[in-house]
Amino acid sequence: MAPPPPPTGMLELLEQLDVLEKSANLSASIHDVQSVIDLLTAARDKVAADPQTAPLTLAKLQDPVKRSLEQAQKDIKPIYSGLNKYGKALDKKFKDKPIPPASNDALSSHPRLVNRAISMHLLREGEFSVASTFIQEAHRHPPRPEPTASTPNPSMNDSREADLAEESFNSEKLQGQFREMYLILHELRQERNLEPAIRWARQRSDLLEARGSNLEFELCRLQFVCLFVGHGLVADDDEPMEEDPQGPLEAYKYARREFGHFRGRYAHEIQQLIGAMAYWQNVVDSPYRRYFYNNTAWEEVATSFTREFCSLLGLSADSPLYIAATAGAIALPHLLKLQNIMEKTRTEWTTQNELPVEIPLPPTYHFHSIFVCPVSKEQSTDANPPMMMPCGHVIAQESLDRISKGTRFKCPYCPMESHPRDARKVRL
Amino acid sequence: MAELTTTKLNAESHLLLDQPLLRMPHELSRRNQKNAQRYVENSTKDVLSSLTAAAKTASKRPTPDAALSSLDSIITKMQGLKRKLENLHDEEMRIHKSNRARLRHLQDLYEVQSLVDVKYDEWSRTRLSRLLVDYLLREGYSESAAHLAASQGIQELVDVDAFVACHKIEKSLREERNTSLALNWCKENSKELKKQGSMLEFELRLQQYIELVRQGHQAGVGDVDTDMDGLNGVSLDGASTGAGEEKLVEARAHAKKYLSASGDFALLGKAAGLLAYRPWDDVKPYSELYSESRWTHLAHLFLTTHHTLYSLPPRPLLHIALSAGLSALKTPACHSAYTAPTTMPLTSSSNCITSTSVCPICSTELNELARNVPYAHHSKSLVESDPVVLPNGRVYGKERLRVFCDKVGVEPGWVRDPVEGLGGMKWRENEVRKVFIM
Repeated sequence: MAPPPPPTGMLELLEQLDVLEKSANLSASIHDVQSVIDLLTAARDKVAADPQTAPLTLAKLQDPVKRSLEQAQKDIKPIYSGLNKYGKALDKKFKDKPIPPASNDALSSHPRLVNRAISMHLLREGEFSVASTFIQEAHRHPPRPEPTASTPNPSMNDSREADLAEESFNSEKLQGQFREMYLILHELRQERNLEPAIRWARQRSDLLEARGSNLEFELCRLQFVCLFVGHGLVADDDEPMEEDPQGPLEAYKYARREFGHFRGRYAHEIQQLIGAMAYWQNVVDSPYRRYFYNNTAWEEVATSFTREFCSLLGLSADSPLYIAATAGAIALPHLLKLQNIMEKTRTEWTTQNELPVEIPLPPTYHFHSIFVCPVSKEQSTDANPPMMMPCGHVIAQESLDRISKGTRFKCPYCPMESHPRDARKVRL
Repeated sequence: MAELTTTKLNAESHLLLDQPLLRMPHELSRRNQKNAQRYVENSTKDVLSSLTAAAKTASKRPTPDAALSSLDSIITKMQGLKRKLENLHDEEMRIHKSNRARLRHLQDLYEVQSLVDVKYDEWSRTRLSRLLVDYLLREGYSESAAHLAASQGIQELVDVDAFVACHKIEKSLREERNTSLALNWCKENSKELKKQGSMLEFELRLQQYIELVRQGHQAGVGDVDTDMDGLNGVSLDGASTGAGEEKLVEARAHAKKYLSASGDFALLGKAAGLLAYRPWDDVKPYSELYSESRWTHLAHLFLTTHHTLYSLPPRPLLHIALSAGLSALKTPACHSAYTAPTTMPLTSSSNCITSTSVCPICSTELNELARNVPYAHHSKSLVESDPVVLPNGRVYGKERLRVFCDKVGVEPGWVRDPVEGLGGMKWRENEVRKVFIM
């Protein structure tokens, strides 16, 4: 029979920790020391009661005290061996997981920028008081840049970076902005109060509209739904609505008052909402149910609000520090593998500005379209942009130049011929 | 061919950054056990010999008072030992408790299968907080570190106390120019340091010597006022015994005691030369030994030694994670002069199809940091399905363009560029062309 598989994950270490916590600890030795104290106290009492017995009592005390003390020493041994065993298991667990070397360290030479990124991260996560502790502490002790391979002389950039960092690092503006964001989010999520969010969106109506954002309408629609259903949004229970049409009437009044300027863009949605009026007694079974029974509606507007809020500040919706650190952790095993291969084959990584290996990330970690020229297999850059030939196929500028040599040429992917001047730059 | 995207999570290979998390408590436990052993051994020796002595005295000249008082003193000693052991026991259990929390935290990762699971998201956020605390501690921002750890409830997963102690010593070298804390630390860890072949203690002793010599020369300048022979107080015949000379004698004794065993004769030669050259003489190589920068060197050496002893990587883990992450995410577009500042995740779910989200590398926080890192390697184009090109050259997925135009309310038969929004140009639908990206 095959031996049982070794415990997975951290279970083996947890088992050994159990032993240390439950038995292999200092309590036994403490007990031994206590018994020595007991022996000594008993002897002292005896001598005090009858001074004549002193020589005999003291002589008889030697052996038991020695034994107990030796026992105290012996009882430390299991701790020693338990820790040793644990240490070996720990070594084994991490044998194939060395701490990655800080090769390619892009950060040590830019500590101010790192500090700025951290303080912005703390602010956007709503850790305002930690952020202010940090900003004060970092101000008292400005960081020291350390040279790295790519930046051997970091102090040269330091003053420029100091300015750059100072700008947003110390800016109470940013802090104020994130405070506002968290206040509005708190009202949305905890208080179910749409007013502050709607006010915010309305003030930036033009900007949001230009970006094609629906935020303002989404918020107002949710407000309409809330009024329609009565107090707050009936989310989970399917109880029929009150017989009293007061809610729908309130909603109708709200729509008349507020939906005016949405008429152009959202005529269809507004029709739907007003149409639901007809079913006010039984929306649950009506075609309009989806507007009124949407469990995630609040979370959705909160997310969409966060995204728009950050975008208007030029910031990504999720903390870049979080995304980058997570992507880094996903990438590290691949980089480690690459490093092992390079060491074995004694090859060096030749592409300076591009990683030599593809890092598979979850699809949500792709933020830009990528164009890889099917001819040269290179990624497009500002200097080597993607070009579309009249047939609709796209290759990189350099490939185009190479294939055409300036004269009419055949597309590598279809029979169509064209002149390089007819190719058009496209942007992905 | 290698996969281009993945959502599979392999916990076993994912834990590259987490070794120090478990090393620290293990090292602390070992240290704790060694201290306990030392206390017990020392007390045993001490108590047994006192007891033997007491018994001997009692058998020779039985005076009950002497017997009682020696018993009392032994009892006090044992009570002291017990108290010490109890403290170590508390510490031991505290370390185990924190270690258990760490093991559980890592075990949690093994229960998650996918990188897109909400549980992974939570786990990774905790990890980021850990990495941030580690960074803050290493940079000496211990107040912020403790504050963040408390606010995130991850005190058991970070080692604030150990780093605070470490930085106190480092600071005593760098700022206060004082070797005593560091030497104490060397004494506490002498066995391990010897095993490591550490030069820290020698370097500290050398610095003490240098400072004695420096004081000697400086005091010698004072002596010269009375001693006009032009030898700056260092008298050759030994007649004058100014404070300066005393210091130099002390320095020699110090060197004999602490430095002579090193065997590095070149360095010892240089050290001896200091007796002849004064700090302001500016003669190499002696000026190097007198240099103030040696304190920075010592502080640095201490940190390296400390980190090696506790199996801590030399640079913050955050640097390792971020450097890899910046590259994995970076595209040539992130620092392109032409890219519109806002771009969107390609796989945006349908309900946020028109809303844009900034790429983390394009975002203010990281953009400048990512400037010098290599961008990610891609072997295949990654574009939305069914791409079409607008007359201005911008490429979009057909479906997304349609949904955008619907939502924004572009007149039927017309299209607009989502990047430019309502403010930009509009074109007739038949000007939109299919584009083939292979």
